[in-house]
Amino acid sequence: MENCIFVVMETADGAVKNVGFEMLTPAKEIAAAKNLKTVAVLIGSGLDDAAKAAGNYGADAVITVDDNAYKAYASDEYAAVLAALAEKYQPEAIFIGATPNGKDLAPRVAAKLGAGCASDVTAMKLNNEGKIAFTCPVFGGTILAENVVESCPVMATVRGGAFKKAEPEERSVEVVCEAEISPEAEDIKTKIVDAVKEISEAVNLEDADVIVAGGRGMGSAENFALVKELADLLGGVVGATRAPIESGWISRAHQIGQSGKIVAPKLYIACGISGATQHVTGMVGSDYIVAINKDEDAPIFDVANVGIVGNVMQVIPEMIEEIKKMRA
Amino acid sequence: MEILVCVKQVPDDSVKIGLNSSGQPAVDGVTMVANAFDTYALEMAARLKEANEGTITVVAVGPEKAKDALKSCLAVGASKAYLVSEEGLGDMDSLTTGYVLSKAVAKIEELNGAKFDIVFCGKESTDCTTGMVGPVLAERLGVGCVTGIVDISIKDGGISVKQETEDGYNVVETALPAVVTVNKPEYDPRYPTMKSKMAARKIPIDTITAADLGVEADKTVPAVKVTGLSEPPKKQAGVKINEKTFEDTMAKAMEILKEAKVF
Amino acid sequence: MGYILSEEGSELVATVRDFCEKEVKEQCREFDASGEFPADIVRMGAEMGLSALEVPEQYGGTGIDAVTCAAICEEMARADAGFYTTMSASGLALRPVLIAGSEEQKKWACDVLLEGGQAAFGLTEPMAGSDSSNTKTTADKDGDEYVLNGRKCFITNGGIADFYTIFAMTNKAKGIRGISAFIVPKGTPGLSVGNHENKMGIRTSNTTDVVMEDMRIPQSALLGREGMGFMIAMKTLDMSRAYVGAGAVGIAQRAIDESARYAKQRVTFGSPISGHQAIQFMLADMAIKTETARAMVVQAVQRQEMGLSYATESAIAKCYAGDIAVQVALDAIQILGGYGYSREYPVEKLLRDAKIFQIYEGTNQIQRMVIAKSVLKGK
Repeated sequence: MENCIFVVMETADGAVKNVGFEMLTPAKEIAAAKNLKTVAVLIGSGLDDAAKAAGNYGADAVITVDDNAYKAYASDEYAAVLAALAEKYQPEAIFIGATPNGKDLAPRVAAKLGAGCASDVTAMKLNNEGKIAFTCPVFGGTILAENVVESCPVMATVRGGAFKKAEPEERSVEVVCEAEISPEAEDIKTKIVDAVKEISEAVNLEDADVIVAGGRGMGSAENFALVKELADLLGGVVGATRAPIESGWISRAHQIGQSGKIVAPKLYIACGISGATQHVTGMVGSDYIVAINKDEDAPIFDVANVGIVGNVMQVIPEMIEEIKKMRA
Repeated sequence: MEILVCVKQVPDDSVKIGLNSSGQPAVDGVTMVANAFDTYALEMAARLKEANEGTITVVAVGPEKAKDALKSCLAVGASKAYLVSEEGLGDMDSLTTGYVLSKAVAKIEELNGAKFDIVFCGKESTDCTTGMVGPVLAERLGVGCVTGIVDISIKDGGISVKQETEDGYNVVETALPAVVTVNKPEYDPRYPTMKSKMAARKIPIDTITAADLGVEADKTVPAVKVTGLSEPPKKQAGVKINEKTFEDTMAKAMEILKEAKVF
Repeated sequence: MGYILSEEGSELVATVRDFCEKEVKEQCREFDASGEFPADIVRMGAEMGLSALEVPEQYGGTGIDAVTCAAICEEMARADAGFYTTMSASGLALRPVLIAGSEEQKKWACDVLLEGGQAAFGLTEPMAGSDSSNTKTTADKDGDEYVLNGRKCFITNGGIADFYTIFAMTNKAKGIRGISAFIVPKGTPGLSVGNHENKMGIRTSNTTDVVMEDMRIPQSALLGREGMGFMIAMKTLDMSRAYVGAGAVGIAQRAIDESARYAKQRVTFGSPISGHQAIQFMLADMAIKTETARAMVVQAVQRQEMGLSYATESAIAKCYAGDIAVQVALDAIQILGGYGYSREYPVEKLLRDAKIFQIYEGTNQIQRMVIAKSVLKGK
């Protein structure tokens, strides 16, 4: 397994998170050009299905570190294991999903390996010198920096939704179980004594075709229910900016923007959202954007295909009525 | 309790920053402020200090002007401040910044005559958002690290922190010294008072140079190089509907949306 | 343009501006509409020390210079004149203590404000506004206590104050020379607060009646000596007057800010209205008035700080700034046209807020009397 690219796949309850599959797409392109193997790296517990899926989505080989001790993400353990794997296999590049856990893991490993790491990558290509040029949003996404990492390995955290995962095909690839690798006692400095699940609903913003999102302009938790009503009617998912979440109108799982999810649905309806950069960054890639805001100068209108200047509390109910009529 | 808070000076993140005519970030005229997440870190540190006594030192790596950010920190909880001059350090990435900060920690401990118990960093900076400096610093110091925390308390001589996760939170414990990076907690950073602002002006901010730190030249060569900057393609602004009456606005909007087969 | 400030002063003003932009300006629009009191905002402002600007350095205050203080008043009023009124009313109530109080009284009152408390100045009565000699509240000596009876009205911070400076007749026969000043902590038995006034403007400030029914206070509550009350009140108002002018300038400046912003965006006849001379001249006149008022405020507060006579200058500053604040706010409404008249936009509030600056802390008619008197004296 010499000369490879590591694609580190985060799992939850044995299932690979989407960004893991998505990263295989650019990794395979680069691997093909540089004559490398794309190796999926899975650290967790009960990884058989995940390993199989990694192969089906295009990994040339899979390394698993499968132990009950790794059932949930733990910074010290995962970082030590991944760094040890990197030492052993000497990959040319390591891609990690830019999830909260991925962004915790990557710098720890980068520091251990002395490797540079590009952050929140949204695109990548090989430049004239055969190096990977990563596109990384900076200043809240208003500027895109092209970064080249001059270390071995090259590391990068990759944003969810930035690449399309391949169509899975039934394939059988080599799966290496690394049973020997485990962290040293001195690597373990922190201990997770409790993991509390507060958000039980599954909110899949990344895969939604329709998102109806509400902002501060919704005014109250009661009013925010209208956003949900419209989303339900359109078969969509509810999104939110930070203000409604901080006000407790809706859970954090719905947050869209720089500190939440980056989404690109077919239809995005922004209700009472002013359009701060931090939010716009997370949704500007949507195919069709409808914005409703009473302030005609709201920056959200700059990115909207259709902007409706009006009070959300009037516009949304009317819109719901009209849609119901159309469908009747 | 000896606390260090690492602070980065960044352009005001409520201002949209594009590229100027020479292709560089157009930050001229934009107010420079202490990175928002660092101010959350400082507030959390200040509350911890108030509950447990101790002192808070702030440090920034940057140009002379970054002393303004440090000065603002001195008015809201910090009592000492040091600037690590970026002069002679060249371009930096998260890895080299973490390394320089680790040297600064040792130097400041020597100057203060006391070891730090906790180093606080913001979860990420609002300009580069890598979120790497804190964990890298922890690795370089060889101490425990918890990222994205929203609460902290002292427990059994160590700390117990609340770390935000995607579906809730973890309670994580670690011995001291340790590095933590701070996400937005439930509370907002305090405003300076007229008195604290005036008192902060009187606290000298010493500059530490790269030579003072004894950094090794090869460890300050950034591995991440910026090879180009661009602006994302502008989304074409669509139609804005603002008719005289609400009925007209809705009629026109629905017509366009039906036309576009949105519904 | 604006004030010439020291580096320290600029930093303090910038701090206040930052706070006002983030916590006061937009939030207070809603409180203006609802008429509710913005308790959290007031608490934050007080914690920052904005109600304790008058506390002298020797009692733990900042000892900031007069021009910085004026600039801070302007910043507060620029965001919300009601918020400014709340903060400055505490300082107004403190002044009688600083003028005539004992060391103990001064220390106590300053500490209340430094700890984030508020205070209220209780002079006005239903029948005694401009004419204090008609004060009906009485303070009768009974052993080593005073017993106060009467009703004060239009008292800013009446319902939220931690202490009151109350003016009452100790000797009716002597007219204004029979007025005495007292410092009264909240919760004193016999002290009660009447209904909150539903006001035209500065609706975010708390204005109530303060009622005293057989309110017993110890002799130690007397400020200075008996009969000094009128002198104390007049000196207090002389001292604070110029800062009231600074508040009015804040409203005028906000009116200019909003007008200029709108004029650059609003397009008529193919160009932004800022390109039309009719609008330009209006904006220029608004700026001329505002800058002139500000310069007068500076003149008055600096004379006071330097120990020169300042009563006339303060009267001019307050009177002129109050008058032009109303005019400039009206002009702002005109520039915004129909939108200016709408409560969806922020300028109609400026007019409602500005009007009180021609009325409170001495009506502008009283100011003119003061000014005329000085002119006729040939001073």
